[in-house]
Amino acid sequence: MLFPMSRNPEEPVYNRIEEARATLGLSRQELADKAGVHYQTIGYLEREEYSPSLVLAIRISKTLNQEVSELFSLTPFKKGK
Amino acid sequence: MSKKNKIYWFEGVTEKGVKSLLTEKNSHLVIKSQRNRRVLVILMALGLVLIAMGSYWPTLKTNLNLPNGAELLIYSVTAIFVIISVVGGYSFLRISVRGIADAPDELLDERQIMIRNTSFRYAYFLMGYVALGSMLLTVTGPELQLFQSSGNDGSFVIIAVLFAFASMPSMVLAWRERDI
Repeated sequence: MLFPMSRNPEEPVYNRIEEARATLGLSRQELADKAGVHYQTIGYLEREEYSPSLVLAIRISKTLNQEVSELFSLTPFKKGK
Repeated sequence: MSKKNKIYWFEGVTEKGVKSLLTEKNSHLVIKSQRNRRVLVILMALGLVLIAMGSYWPTLKTNLNLPNGAELLIYSVTAIFVIISVVGGYSFLRISVRGIADAPDELLDERQIMIRNTSFRYAYFLMGYVALGSMLLTVTGPELQLFQSSGNDGSFVIIAVLFAFASMPSMVLAWRERDI
């Protein structure tokens, strides 16, 4: 890809941010404010177009009351789990 | 009492200014769309190529054997297109990307910092290729004379290269970033 976006395009980080955010009834803007990032960055994360740093992954996990390993994975999550 | 608006003198921006540029309320603007920004980048690149080609206009018009009226018309229309595409394109591109391009790190998140830094790195490489290409052109280009009042004036190539250097970071950033 010309000008790749991801931190590591060969090894994307899968996540369940959208699902967890919806469970808590948070908007992207609200989650972004709590995690200290721009609201568009939450969109990039949810579309798995950007792999977060460990610090951001921990901040998002804490905000969504989840463990990092429950929210992020190097393999795709099974649907409904 | 409103919070003090911090001024970043080196970057030439203010805290409130950057935050205002990066809010959702600006997302409807025409230049905020990646497609429109890419069109601007293409128009600018075309304009810069046309500026550089201005160096070969004396040879070109002789080879095409154009009548005086047609020659003036083509030159004028091209000059107007170049002014609009390059000057206008540069201004709009700067407006569209300055929220990320000019902001200090503390006002951006990690993804914005990453995309800005990698865009500037790509721009640096591209500038190297442009410099190399222009050097080859000025060395090997036929009948190219620098700063001459007659003949093929090579100064157009230099002007195009300098403008490309000034605008390359904004062009790459505008091309890459989907949401600004």
